[in-house]
Amino acid sequence: METLRTIFDIFMTTYPGFLEAVVITLELTAISVVLGTVLGLFFALMKISNSKILQGIANLYITIIRGTPLLVQIMFLYFGITQLIILDNFWAGAIALGVHNGAYIAEIFRGAIQGIDSGQTEASRALGMTNNQAMRRIVFPQALRRSIPPLGNQFIITLKDSSLVWMIGVAELFSVANRSAASSFKQFETFIVVGFYYLVLVMIFTYIVRWYENRLDVDKA
Amino acid sequence: MIIGENIHKSFGDLEVLKGIDLQVKPQEVVVLVGVSGSGKSTLLRCFNFLEEMNSGKITIDGHTINPKKDKLANIRAEVGMVFQHFNLFPHKTVLENVIEAPLIVKKMDKEKAKQLGRGLLEKVGLADKAEVYPSKLSGGQKQRVAIARALAMEPKVLLFDEPTSALDPELVGEVLQVMKQLAEEGMTMVVVTHEMKFAKEVADRVIMLDKGVIIEDADPKTFFENPKNERTRQFIQLVE
Repeated sequence: METLRTIFDIFMTTYPGFLEAVVITLELTAISVVLGTVLGLFFALMKISNSKILQGIANLYITIIRGTPLLVQIMFLYFGITQLIILDNFWAGAIALGVHNGAYIAEIFRGAIQGIDSGQTEASRALGMTNNQAMRRIVFPQALRRSIPPLGNQFIITLKDSSLVWMIGVAELFSVANRSAASSFKQFETFIVVGFYYLVLVMIFTYIVRWYENRLDVDKA
Repeated sequence: MIIGENIHKSFGDLEVLKGIDLQVKPQEVVVLVGVSGSGKSTLLRCFNFLEEMNSGKITIDGHTINPKKDKLANIRAEVGMVFQHFNLFPHKTVLENVIEAPLIVKKMDKEKAKQLGRGLLEKVGLADKAEVYPSKLSGGQKQRVAIARALAMEPKVLLFDEPTSALDPELVGEVLQVMKQLAEEGMTMVVVTHEMKFAKEVADRVIMLDKGVIIEDADPKTFFENPKNERTRQFIQLVE
């Protein structure tokens, strides 16, 4: 009972700061989701192209990103790239998250595109479409629809992974919570509160993805 | 209309077509038969370059195709194809399926394309299904949409690759009916099928492929009643 009371008090006193931090978390997530989707599409197309060189580049990127921890990538980008160009820690974090996501999203797109029945391409070509037209008009729209559940999943992972950029001092949700916990000495209660924030965000996100999925499915195969 | 000369095709070590010569005249309906693996589908796919030949020559409407130089997409636009598994586009309505290629390949005006599409759907008896998605159709209806889709490009030749093999028996008739109607209207057609009744009633010529060579090429009456080749006789007994 005493703990519940403390949790509630912490919630009431921290929410102005926490909500500000939520905005940063959402900004980080949004930027890295957009960047990751663009990179993912780009590398997926490279991977299914006929060029061995493009395939090689895409494979290298995916292997490196999937083979190293996100935290290492954040640190590498922050300390590595910021020596070359001026980049504030927010952007360094957002780009690191985006580049990280790109590798996973590339695999989501690649799988979805290759999962479309080859008869679809054949029928398109038989009608006189070029390979590009067949991809753009017939294969990709179907692949995109199939990508939405795994993409939604990946976006949720991104939202949670954005907490890792507290390491480079971005004032996102986890970072603000961590500071608050340290100054109030109520670590346990504070992290329950911050967990609750993430949980609510993820639930809202899940709901949006599910709604979008259902909307696309109406009447279609 | 379409002439194939000395067509060779191998998949790895397996030689599927061993020098096929086949000439299809304008308005002619040619039915290709043969046991599975005889190369009939592969031959059909060589005609619209979905399959790359190892050697040989294809002439369409007096123009000998050079697969290296000619734009294959343009050639395919003149040779329609209907597939065994329909291959309709599931994310597009029936009408959108039919008008996709005229819109994208021929850059036809949208209203004009819709008009063309509705006309073709009426022709195959599906005018009332224009706005539904393919998943709501029966197999027979799907195949009729696929025929309308191929016709929308106004092809010079229409190739059918076992168009009724994936259908429930009671749905075969409606598809054959549409094909018969097309034949009567003078469409040049090459049909791979196991429907011997269709071959007898509609074909001008029936051709038997066996192990990658043509072993019989005759009008339907001669083909079914008095075939030259022993293998053809066995095949006819087997399917009838």
